Amino acid sequence: MNPYVLDLITASPEVLVLAMGCLILILDLFVKDPSHTSTFVLTMLTLVGAAILTLFTSTGEVVYAFNGLYVDDLMGDLLKLVLYLTAIVTLFYARPYILQRPDLRRGEFYVLMLFATLGMMVMISANHLLTIYLGIELLSLSVYALVAMNRDSVASTEAAMKYFVLGALASGLLLYGMSMIYGATGTLSIPEISDALVANASNPTILIFGLVFIVSGLAFKLGVVPFHMWVPDVYQGAPTAITMLIGGAPKLAAFAITMRLLVSGLLLLAPDWQGMLLILAVLSLAIGNLAAIPQTNIKRMLAYSTISHMGFVLLGIVVGVVGGDARFALNAYSSSMFYVVSYVMMSVAAFGVIILLSRAGFEADRIDDFKGLNKRSPWFAAVMMMIMFSMAGVPFFIGFFAKFSILQAVVASGQIGLAIYAVLMSLIGAFYYLRIVKVMYFDEPIDESPIVAPMDMRVLLSINGLAIALFGLFPQTIMSLCAFSLLRSL
Amino acid sequence: MEFKLILFYVLSAILVGSSLGVITSRNPVNAAMFLVLSFFTAGAVWMLAQAEFLAIVLILVYVGAVMVLFLFVVMMLDINFDRLRQGFWSYLPLGALIGILMILEMSIVLGGQYFQVLDTPLPPELANSSNTKDLGLLLYTQYTYPDQVAAAILLVAIIAAIILTYRGRKDTKRQVIADQVAVKAADRLRVVKMDAVKPQPAVTAAPESEAGDGAAK
Amino acid sequence: MDMKSLYLTVPLAPLVGAALAGFTCRVAPRWFSAGVTILGVAISLVASLLVLQDVLAGHTFYGNLYTWATSGNYTFSVGFQIDTLTAMMMCVVTSVSLLVHIYTIGYMSDDDGFRRFFSYISLFTFSMLMLVMSNNFLQLFFGWEAVGLVSYLLIGFYMNRDTAIFANLKAFLVNRVGDFGFILGIGLVLAYFGTLDYKTVFDAAPSLADKTINLVGSAEWSLMTVTCICLFIGAMGKSAQVPLHVWLPDSMEGPTPISALIHAATMVTAGIFMVARCSPLFNLSPTALSFVLIIGATTALFMGFLGMIQNDIKRIVAYSTLSQLGYMTVALGVAAYPIAIFHLMTHAFFKALLFLGAGSVIIGMHHDQDIRNMGGLWKYMPITWITTLIGSLSLIAFPFFSGFYSKDSIIEAVHFSNIPGSGYALFAVTASVFVTTYYTFRSYFIVFHGPERWNDAAHVAAAHAHDDHAHDAQDAHGHDDHGHEEHHHGLQPGDKPHESPWVVTFPLIMLAIPSVIIGYFAIDPMLYGSFFDGVIAVNKGMPVMANMEEEFHGPLAMAIHSIQTVPFWLMMAGIVVTYYFYMVKPSIPDALAKKFSGIYKLMDNKYYFDAFNMAVFAGGARKLGAFLNRFGEATIIDGFFVNGSAKLVGVVAGIVRHFQTGYLYQYAFTMIIGVFALLTLWFFTT
Repeated sequence: MNPYVLDLITASPEVLVLAMGCLILILDLFVKDPSHTSTFVLTMLTLVGAAILTLFTSTGEVVYAFNGLYVDDLMGDLLKLVLYLTAIVTLFYARPYILQRPDLRRGEFYVLMLFATLGMMVMISANHLLTIYLGIELLSLSVYALVAMNRDSVASTEAAMKYFVLGALASGLLLYGMSMIYGATGTLSIPEISDALVANASNPTILIFGLVFIVSGLAFKLGVVPFHMWVPDVYQGAPTAITMLIGGAPKLAAFAITMRLLVSGLLLLAPDWQGMLLILAVLSLAIGNLAAIPQTNIKRMLAYSTISHMGFVLLGIVVGVVGGDARFALNAYSSSMFYVVSYVMMSVAAFGVIILLSRAGFEADRIDDFKGLNKRSPWFAAVMMMIMFSMAGVPFFIGFFAKFSILQAVVASGQIGLAIYAVLMSLIGAFYYLRIVKVMYFDEPIDESPIVAPMDMRVLLSINGLAIALFGLFPQTIMSLCAFSLLRSL
Repeated sequence: MEFKLILFYVLSAILVGSSLGVITSRNPVNAAMFLVLSFFTAGAVWMLAQAEFLAIVLILVYVGAVMVLFLFVVMMLDINFDRLRQGFWSYLPLGALIGILMILEMSIVLGGQYFQVLDTPLPPELANSSNTKDLGLLLYTQYTYPDQVAAAILLVAIIAAIILTYRGRKDTKRQVIADQVAVKAADRLRVVKMDAVKPQPAVTAAPESEAGDGAAK
Repeated sequence: MDMKSLYLTVPLAPLVGAALAGFTCRVAPRWFSAGVTILGVAISLVASLLVLQDVLAGHTFYGNLYTWATSGNYTFSVGFQIDTLTAMMMCVVTSVSLLVHIYTIGYMSDDDGFRRFFSYISLFTFSMLMLVMSNNFLQLFFGWEAVGLVSYLLIGFYMNRDTAIFANLKAFLVNRVGDFGFILGIGLVLAYFGTLDYKTVFDAAPSLADKTINLVGSAEWSLMTVTCICLFIGAMGKSAQVPLHVWLPDSMEGPTPISALIHAATMVTAGIFMVARCSPLFNLSPTALSFVLIIGATTALFMGFLGMIQNDIKRIVAYSTLSQLGYMTVALGVAAYPIAIFHLMTHAFFKALLFLGAGSVIIGMHHDQDIRNMGGLWKYMPITWITTLIGSLSLIAFPFFSGFYSKDSIIEAVHFSNIPGSGYALFAVTASVFVTTYYTFRSYFIVFHGPERWNDAAHVAAAHAHDDHAHDAQDAHGHDDHGHEEHHHGLQPGDKPHESPWVVTFPLIMLAIPSVIIGYFAIDPMLYGSFFDGVIAVNKGMPVMANMEEEFHGPLAMAIHSIQTVPFWLMMAGIVVTYYFYMVKPSIPDALAKKFSGIYKLMDNKYYFDAFNMAVFAGGARKLGAFLNRFGEATIIDGFFVNGSAKLVGVVAGIVRHFQTGYLYQYAFTMIIGVFALLTLWFFTT
């Protein structure tokens, strides 16, 4: 068969999403229904189709396509499947929210969601610095537009502006770093960079120089200190449905490019980037947890919580290689991957609850809006409690095992002090999660209005909450999937 | 060879100077014009490196399209740039310090042997080939995938621009026949119940007929 | 159906029943809660019987079903070990549980907590099955704590009653002490064997038999002894051995069906089961076995004494349970594990029978539990009377009854043993025979024979009983005197006791059958046949079982031979003495109590265990708490950690707010600074 056709088959999920994105864009012009139900359904079908294609084209081996610019491996497949699932869940949660807001209730919302998903898919499957960069840009541009879509809201516009400018700066940093790496190794392909490093044919100073910029660019995408400044403002300013998108799936893609760039490409520089990431992780854990405490806006609080969670993810990546010994690497990286996956699950659920409480003209984004939730809806108060417990790392929810596996990797690397620090910080962090639980159960409701949400969202949110508890009882399923996929990919 | 070197330094000096002009000039139009100048000189530097296609594209696209558009925007919006740049001078010392330090560090790194200007002759097989053709070949064979992704990015940019700015025309007189047909009496006529007993002789409800949207437009 | 799914069905069916009944306990009709849980347990029983049949055909199973977590080099799994021991326990647990479920329909018929109760006991059945089916210590511990949890919930079932809450708390605290030892033991196993799987641990045990560890200073302690004693401390808590027995009598605050199921037949025997399961470990430490033996013997004798003076019908049975648990522990101590398990099984049936019979009496007496208000009940409650008599005969080891075979085997086993403490144990278990007979028949005669006392003196006596027993604060808490609770209990003047409904009597009859016959049929295969071959380790240093096998010539011969033995005559003497004391001359016991008032007082105060615990442990803990509150809480926690971290949060929040201004250029500048700092740092370090 023509190699180009083979390439297309390998990349068929991307091809499908791109083609359907364009098609839906055009078809939506003919949709008269103001709720754009058919667009919604088509988008869902596209995501499901992409999932099916990903499953069926997965060979379990590492397959390169498009002259080595694209790679299809198990890690990518697993992350992509989680990505589709997250996107589907996000859309389900987002739908009642956008239906109540005329500026968001447009077909383009779904198209941009699809393109953002495409961008993340490109990032996850990238095997080349150019592809990584283009994936980031595709994702970012879609998200900027989505954040600004609520164009009559000053907060949203401002958030979009900040995100856009800072994102451009971060892209610049990343590009600059990439050009340095190119200068030092003479190639942009990740495997070739790795080969060049092994052959020791490059100037270490320039490599380190480029590495600093690359790490900075990645840190922006992950939202870790000191590249986190956009996170609280954008989380708070963006419409909740979009915040849910920003806070969820992109972390999967950011994890993927971190693995590809740093582990697949620059593993020989591990002592250097581990040191850099360690500083970022330590700062993130401190700032994220401490700054979340005085917040009164729950979206802002979750933003800081995200920062601390990403600090945890970095901890796993930091302890992969110990003194040139990569024995623990697989364990460490798979615990990070597990953390990311479980974080996404919790984050989407948390924003889902915020959306559940909001209605036209009311955002439910203050912590006070959660007061007495138990009296209004005991079940969803329980769901929110499970999410908060899980985020705080209370046994036996999935968040506990996520933190546990990271800490275990840290301890295995011999950095006990670091593990103690992380535990202390998450203890402090438990405070603000438990405060949500406290206001839900022990305070009198301010807002007495009944909770209106479509049945599909209620069911999905319940399943999401239960999954957090259930996978907390049976964490091994996801853990071993992560470990296996990494084993077969790296 | 000597002439090329001199030309390079002259052009580079203009490039750096005009770039500085972009961020220091108080008048936005001036800044834009400085940017145009720096694009031109950058194009010229590329031309020196025999990358004629890139040089021309830079000038055509950036100068010819982007910057002209940008100038329109600047002139139409009448933004008070001075207010935007409030505090510029108070932040300058710190910013300048960091900037200078970074330049120092970068120059030490980049001053290494890898980044010295080496007079490497072009590979012979490239010497006579067309820059445009080579790029085209690469773009549509080796780099099809990123090319397509880039296309998607541009599409997203278009969508974004439209949804963020287009609000539909307010002055259209377009008729929506379906709405007109589907209109019901209740849409146009509002029956108001009023109290029959009033101090003054009661006026029986005299509803005013309200024109439906469809009919008016 | 393949066997794995069958194994899974056994614990999961009650769990599903418990969940369905529990989650609908506010809305569902009563028949639903009862029906769904009974169905679950019945399925479980059928599956257990199938498993037993399969195991007897030689198919055992050992394997993991699900890897629960992996941590470093340790793997924690959920798995089953299905062998004869497990299969037997499964059948005992599910059959007794099913009968108790049915009985509950009658016993709890007018209780508000009917549905909640069904959910609890089904959950208990699930937990107990997980405990016995486990193939590793972690799952064992899960089941251990889960049965404990349900036990606490059920002891405090009447949550509006202060005494129930006190008993509940007491059980909880005492079990914590045992669990502390237990988890230390499990920790030692994990630390030295690197795994918690039974098979791996037991296979590796002989190689570590001589290993010593340093606990305090440089003294060398045998690892096996320390581990076994730690594990056994867990068993002491759960199986209520001296001195951790204090919670069991108080646990009678719970409804009678759970006293039968949890606090007599199954849960309290978990410790016995655990030691038998860990027989390969205990065999390696004669010291630990001696410890077990002495604790067991003490429990058997001294707890029996206490049963002799009780007046609450349930408490008498409770103390008899303690004493019988002591017997089982004694059997463990002489390394006669099969006998312990054998007694566990027969005891499960006859003790459940006695408890349910007591419950039936309580129903008949309208929830009056004081035996001094009863008498002559045999006329009114014939089925209860006959079945209780059968249970009593089994309990006192009357020849041919089940209890005879197991209990006499224990005495025999102690006889053959020569480890340190066996002399004391032999005296204790032999003397206990008389004691057992005394308290059993004392209660039997007073309740079912003699004058009918409920008509005239019912309420006076109840009030008197209360005063009589209100010795001190905690004792009053400990005593349950249902006549004075929120309901007006007891028979109205002119009422007559009545036989209980069939849902109550049916389980009695069903339990009476194994109480009579199972010993006769099971003794040969279980003790001397190949039933436990390869399941329970044979102690090579103590050939107790082998010696006994030589002496054993079949169940019939054993019964006939017993007529020539001391225990038989002690038992007969017990019956005669009791008959004389309570049927012929009822004034003697009171006179004796007056004469030996010192001993009587000691026993009436349960050897002052409760008072000691209250004064030393509770009081000490309160003093420690007060000190820690003053110093630790106020100074360190509040002063340093709480206020300190609040300050830290304030400081950091202040700094963050300084940066998080909302100004774009500051954000960008922060990023640049970040890049610059990293760059500089690496520039100067490399």
